[in-house]
This record gives sequence, C-alpha cells and structure tokens, in this order.
Amino acid sequence: MPQDILQGTLDLMVLQTLEAMGPLHGYGIARRIEQVSEDVLQLNQGTIYASLVRLQQRRWISANWGVSDNNRRAKFYTITKAGRKQLAAQTDSWERLAGVIGRLLKLSPER
Amino acid sequence: MWNGLLALASRMRAVFTPRALDADFERELRDHLERAIDDNLRRGMTLETAAREARLRLGGIAQLQEANRDQRGLPQVDTIMQDLRYAFRNLRKNPAFSIVAVLTLAIGIGATTSMFSVLHAVLLRPLPYAQPDRLVEIFEVNPLKRWTRNVASAANYADWRRMNTVFTDVAATNGSGDKGEGTFDVFLTGNGEPQRLKALQTTGNLFQVLGAGPMLGRTFTDEETYDGHQRVVILSYQLWRALFAGDPAVVGRSVTLSGRTFNVVGVMPPSFFYPSRDIQLWMPVGYKPDVFAKARRAHWLRVVARLKPGVSLDRAKADMTAVAAQLEKTYPDTNTQMGVRLEGLHDAFAFDARPALLVLFAAVGSVFLIVCVNVANLQLGRAAGRTREMAIRRALGAGRGRLIRQLVTEGVVLSAFGGAIGLLLAAIAKRILVALAATSLPLFADPTVDRAVVLFAVGLSLLAPILFGLAPALMSARAGTLGERSESTGAGQAAIRNALVMCEVALAVILVVAAGLLVRSLVLLQRVDPGFDAAHAVAFQVQLPPARYPDDAKMLAAFETIDRRLREQTGVDAAGGASTLALNGFTWTGDATVEGRGPTDYERELRHQSTTPNYFRALDARLVRGRWLTEADRPPRPAVTLVNETLAKRYFRGEDAIGKRISFGRPTDKPAWVTIVGIVQDFKQDGMDDPVQPEVYVPLAQELQNPLTFVVRSRLQADAVVSLARAQVRAVDKDLVPTDVTTLDAVVRKAVDGQRFRTWLLGSFAGIALLLAALGIYGVLAYFVAQRVRELGIRLALGASPARVWRMVVGQGMRPVLWGSLAGLAVAYAAADLMKSLLFGVAPLDPATYAMTAGALALVGAIACAVPASRAVRVDPLVALRQD
Repeated sequence: MPQDILQGTLDLMVLQTLEAMGPLHGYGIARRIEQVSEDVLQLNQGTIYASLVRLQQRRWISANWGVSDNNRRAKFYTITKAGRKQLAAQTDSWERLAGVIGRLLKLSPER
Repeated sequence: MWNGLLALASRMRAVFTPRALDADFERELRDHLERAIDDNLRRGMTLETAAREARLRLGGIAQLQEANRDQRGLPQVDTIMQDLRYAFRNLRKNPAFSIVAVLTLAIGIGATTSMFSVLHAVLLRPLPYAQPDRLVEIFEVNPLKRWTRNVASAANYADWRRMNTVFTDVAATNGSGDKGEGTFDVFLTGNGEPQRLKALQTTGNLFQVLGAGPMLGRTFTDEETYDGHQRVVILSYQLWRALFAGDPAVVGRSVTLSGRTFNVVGVMPPSFFYPSRDIQLWMPVGYKPDVFAKARRAHWLRVVARLKPGVSLDRAKADMTAVAAQLEKTYPDTNTQMGVRLEGLHDAFAFDARPALLVLFAAVGSVFLIVCVNVANLQLGRAAGRTREMAIRRALGAGRGRLIRQLVTEGVVLSAFGGAIGLLLAAIAKRILVALAATSLPLFADPTVDRAVVLFAVGLSLLAPILFGLAPALMSARAGTLGERSESTGAGQAAIRNALVMCEVALAVILVVAAGLLVRSLVLLQRVDPGFDAAHAVAFQVQLPPARYPDDAKMLAAFETIDRRLREQTGVDAAGGASTLALNGFTWTGDATVEGRGPTDYERELRHQSTTPNYFRALDARLVRGRWLTEADRPPRPAVTLVNETLAKRYFRGEDAIGKRISFGRPTDKPAWVTIVGIVQDFKQDGMDDPVQPEVYVPLAQELQNPLTFVVRSRLQADAVVSLARAQVRAVDKDLVPTDVTTLDAVVRKAVDGQRFRTWLLGSFAGIALLLAALGIYGVLAYFVAQRVRELGIRLALGASPARVWRMVVGQGMRPVLWGSLAGLAVAYAAADLMKSLLFGVAPLDPATYAMTAGALALVGAIACAVPASRAVRVDPLVALRQD
C-alpha cells in the first residue's frame, strides 16, 4: 500500500541516499528511495526537487552538472560536510523517536 | 539562525536571477523524464506508455516550476514588486496629483536636508582632533569690564596652566577672530609679488593638546614657544600644495615670512584646521618667558585645554574658578572680579551661529511638516475618489492589511521620488547657501553633502510617508462595501481634512511671524546710520614687517609717506589711516583716568585708536565741537586727543569735555595727561546692532600702531582707487602689499550679512509655508464644492442669491484658516522669546508683526477660497441635478 511521507522525512531520506550512494541525480535519488522502500513508498517524484532545493539552501548538499554513465549530462547532488553532520544528528533523533513510538504502540490496552 | 540566513541569502540571489534558474530547472526535469522513459522502455513498455507513465510519476512540469520558484525565491518580494508596479501605474494615471505631491515633497525634503547639512557642519560633525569632546576653551569674564567671553592675558594663561589640577595641558594662540578668521598676517616674500598668508601664533604644545599629529615632519616642541627658538612653521595641507606643489621633501626647507627666515618643520593633514579653515600656517608665539610672568594687563590669547580622563566639565569649572579666585587675591591690581568661563571647544566654535541655526532648523522642520500635511490632504482628497476602487478590491478578496500596504507603498514611491529630487536640490542649494552664508557661518564649517546628510535625506523620505500616508491609508481601507456611495464617507473625511488645513495654517503663521520679525529687524538695521559716509570710499590695510622697520621712527615715516602720497593723487578727495577700521570687531582697550577724579573713580577698558590727521575727513565723519587733529600734533607738542560723543557724555557727566585732560592709566599710576581738543560724532564700532562705546582717537605720531588701515575717499571707480593705492604703497616699499582691500559700503553691508542671511532664509521658508497652506485650503474647498454640486445647484434653483452661496462656501473655507491662525499666533506668542537674540529694534511680541501676519493669512486664505467659491456660484442647477 503506497504511503504518504512527511516533509522532513523526505529530506532525511535524500540525505541518507546521497550518503550511501555518493553523487546522484534527481531521478536516481527518487528511484533509489522507491527501490529501498520496496515500493511501499510511492513517491510523487516531483517532490524530490523541492527537497533538493531546500537542502541546497541550507548548504547540506551541493549540486553540479556532470556527465552520467551513458554519456548524458545530468545535475548531480553531493552531500556536504554540514549535511553529514545534520544526517548524523537527525538519524540519531529519528531512531530515538522511532523507538519511543514503537514502544508506545506495543503497549496493550488495559482491561 | 545561521541556516535561516544562508537560506535567505540564496533566496535573495534567486530573486535576481530568475531566468537562468528557470532554464536550469527545466533542463534537470527533462533529463529526469528521459531517464524515466529509458527505464520504462527497458521494462518493455511502448514508447507512448513509457512517456505517459514517466510524466505521471514526476507530476506537472508547470506546477513543479511554480513550486520551485516559490521555494527558491521570496514570495514576499514578489508581492512587494506587484505593489510597486501597481503603485506606479496608479500614480501615472493621476499625473497632476503625483507631480504636485512629488514636487512638494522634494521642496520639503530638499530644504530640510540642505539646512541639516549646514547644521551638521557647524554643530554636529566632530572636530578633527583626538577625543574632541574632551577639549574646552577658557575665557576671561569680568563684570567690571563687561566681559562675558574675553581673550586672556598671557600671565593669566600661564598661571591657569600651572595651577589647575584638571587639564592634561593648556595651550594658547594668538591671531584669530570671533569666527576663527585669521587676523595675523604674514607676508611671504622671495618670489615676485609678496603674498599675504593667514597665520596663527601658538604655544608649542597646541598640537599635543589637540591630539593632532602631522602628516609630514613634526609639530612644535614646548621650547619653541619662547623667543630664540621660534623660527619654525607648520604648513596647512592646502598651503603645502599651493606653495610647494605637495613636495614631500619640504620639511627642513626655509621660507621668508615678513622679512624673516623660518624653517618648515611639518605639514598637517588635509582634514586638520585650527581654529578655522582660514588659517594657512602655524608658528610659535615666540614670547620671552617674561611675557608669561608679567603681561597681565593686555588680553589677547585664546586658550584651549584638554580635560584629564574622568574629569567632568563641571569639575573643571569649579577648579578653574578656584584658580581665578586665587589669582584675584594675588593680583588685585589687574584681576579684580576676573573670573573664567569654560565652554566645550565645539560649543565655543559654534557660539555665534547656534541660536540662528536652531531657529532656522526649527523653521525648516515646520516647512517639512506642512509638506507632509499637504500631501496627506492631497491623498485624502484622492482617497475619497477611490472609495469605489477600494470597495471593489475588498469585494474581490483583498485583505484590509493588503489595501493599507498598497496605499503605503504608493506613499513610499512618492516620497522616494521626492527624496531623490530633494537631495539633488539640497546639493545645488548648498552652493547658494554657502555663498549667502559666507560671512555669517563660523569659518570652520564646511557644509557638504556627505554620508550623514544623505542618510538624513533617506530618513526623511521614510518618515514622510508615515506622516502623510497613515491617516489616508487607514481612512480609505475602512471604506466599506460596494453598496456604499462615495459621499457617505464625506463627513469624517471633511473633518480630518479641515483639521489638517488648520495645522498647516498654524505652522505657516508661526513661520510668517518669525520671518516678519526678522524682516522688520533687517529694515531697521539697514536704516542705522553708521556715523560715516560709506559711499565712495575704499579701505585697505598696510602692515610693516618689524624685520625691516625696527623702530617707531622708521614705521611712522613710512606710514606718513603713504598717507601723504595717497592724499596727493588726483581724484582723491581725502585719505587717512587708523589702527582699526570701524565694524571690524577688533579694538585695543585700556584703563583711563579723568583728571581730578578720586583714586577708585576711573574708566575701564576704554577703546583707543591711533589715526593720521585726515582720517575723519576720509570717513566724512562730523566734528561736533572743538578742532580736528593736525600734522603739528606730535611730540614734543603737548599730547592731545579726540573723543567720541558717547565718551563726552558718559565720562564728563554734563561738563564740557573740551580742554579736559585724561590719562591712559589708573589714578594710582603716574599720569601722562592728554588734552581733549575735539568731539567727533559717534560711529559704529563692533556691529550695526551694538551700542557705541566710549572711544578716543590719538595722533599716530603720538602713539604708533602697526598695522594701519587707510581709507581713501574718491569719486573714481573703486578698482581705479585700489590700483592707485597699490602703486603708492609699493612706491614706498616694493615688498609691501595692501591687504583686506574693501569698500566702506561693503563693510557696512557685511556688518548686517548675518541678519540678511537669516532673514532671507526664514523669509523663503515662510513663503513656501504660505504657498503650501494656500494649496491646502484650496484643495479642501475645491473638493467640498465638487462634492456638493447638487446641493449648491438646488440652493441656487430655489432662489439662493449667488452672494449667499459665495458667503457660504468662503465661510466654509475660512473656518480652518481662522482657527489655524489663532492657534499659530498663540504658539508664536508663547515661543517668541526664542527669537530675542536674533532681533534688532523690534520686540519679540511686536504687535504690528502679529497683525500683519494675521492679515497676510486672511488674504492668502481668501484668495485660495475665491476660486472654488466662484466655481460654486457658477454651478448650473440643471446640470448639477442631472449628475449621477
């Protein structure tokens, strides 16, 4: 079942993708996220670009036109040092939050 | 925070490069689609399905572009740009309104800014010294001698310096007048025509006290204060450029000044001046140490001191008062009642100019307010016409805030244009102002349009829309729904507009009263008889260099030869010389005793002049009684003197002064009797507005003075007289030049220059104010008539006489004029005392001025009302009723 995603979450996913994969173009990022989520997340791929602008404005990623595999020009995004720091911090807080939510949801109702 | 800033920065960049970014994004999206299609084809879709699927997954290109623009740019800026475009379009649609508003604002902002540039130059811009606010000027005060701010004696200065506990050091200078103008001339000789330079003599520590370092070389040492070490000079930057073409190797070179050789030891930086930009070089006073120990009777030094860190001006005053009291005890002979006055150096520099400048600035501030009120009025008038537009825009969903913002944006646009033109006007007016003010501003002031002035203009341009825009904005945004007719907001509006006109009129009245008082003062001042005939007379100064005229006999011979040669020229009616020229604000004074009076009954600080016998004939002054001085009045003949009428009246208390003897000293001094042989009609000494003081005139041969000012009376053209005089002076000594060449007419004119400048300025402010007030009255009334066309038409149709309608309309228009005038007169009456120091012969509450002002306002008001009123009378009832 396709899922909507929270805005901040998408930013985090983009950062993580760039960290894991190295420089990548917008389409590549979108595909990668879809693949990793095993198509649970059905991205409106356009939203990736809003996220990319946002991340650039904060200087967490940088962008450059380059040449890809089949010799086509594409705009490549790279995570920056500040981006890595941000990613680490966010991953941390995300995991904590996920843990809390997980525990909360496992609580059985009191009868 | 930092992230926010970075984001903002990149958004700002995006605002300025929208096209490039759009193209970039489009390319990126195209690449995305191509890749998606490739992948889809690989999965076995047909080309068509592959393309559709890729597009579907990505989303609409146009929407993405729009979202991208919003994300990367500043949507607020876009709104502002939209407001601006709309404002421009609106203002272009109403060219009459826009032009009047912009020009009024330009005048208001321009006048205020140019006045500020003067105020800033005189009162605000810091002096070019280290911590200038720690510098003070010290004066002597003495009620006995009627001194309130006098220059100091050398011995008093030296004692102040030695005994005080509050100053790091105290310096003294000689050779500058009230406005800081150089009064000590030296003559540069050696190449061609001798060149007159304005010098200031100073103690060696002046530059240390000021905390001003040289640009080249060094400043003076303490030792150079004294005789034997004084052959050194420091040049101003301008003189260095002029004389040495800016040669950096000038230090160590020598110059010949008034026949003596001086070593150039330093050059000051271009920004430096002391005490005015008039001074071209500084040289040590070069006194014998004796002078600082003994010279307590003569007073000629300006004294400047630097407060020790942490010492307040009040503490310094207390300390110096104690020092003065101690000196009074030690030297009762010279220092009885001799106190001190301390002023911050900047205050002292601006002393004369301050009251006039503040009054003028207040005046121009009022003009600015009137301008704002007027534009507010214009906008209100326009807003009434825009009620419908506003209602439609509200109906279409524009928020109230958005509407107000729109109106404020219009105001800012108007004001920005007005401010830009105003700043231009200020830059032009500056030259006129400086030319006009040349003799009435302190000489250190250099009004320029600098950063502070530009900032001030920008500030005004921002302030103006707040003042004139807020009321109209709130009013019209309140304007309700579509159903309302434009007339329905009329009543509240009319009340506000009437109140605004009232304010305008009140402000204008205050300015007109002030200008009226000044005009009357100026008229009276120009009518004052200087006591001599100023027409057809040329004056110039000749100074003999002591280096080549070492004794009195040589000097006297030279002066008398010049005097004789001048008189012998054809075309010259009379010529003579005196130690100081009338109205030049500098005199020698001393104590005097009338023969036969008691030991404490003597005259203090009597003015005395030395003259050649024909000086009074050259002035065309009248002899009241007795005889003139003659060539024969010289030693060994008994000493004689002329006195002026004031002296004869005041000192001789009803007795006849002729034949009486006076001695220039105190009763306790050994008398040297001088017989009074004639009484001369009074003539003005310090200024046209100062009462004449007692004065004596002794023959030059009896008491020599150098320099001497010659007056030549001749029917010839002034230029011809000057060249003739120059030739005669050079014939006596080729290294002599006449300086301070002027005509007596110019001297008299210059004496009222300050008053004329102030009157002219305040008068033009008042004129502008009146004009604007008239515009305001007219605007409101014209609107009133336009709104009531139907009512007026009905009245006329029902038989109201045109005269009656006329009276009704004029009455409507004159009501705010009346109330405004009354309010203005009341404020002017209450504040009149502020003008006191600027007036001459007119009381601040002069009834005639107030009456004339009221009359002028009534007249201007009536004229402004007449046009709309006659339009009202001509209303055609039929046409009026058919309207709408």
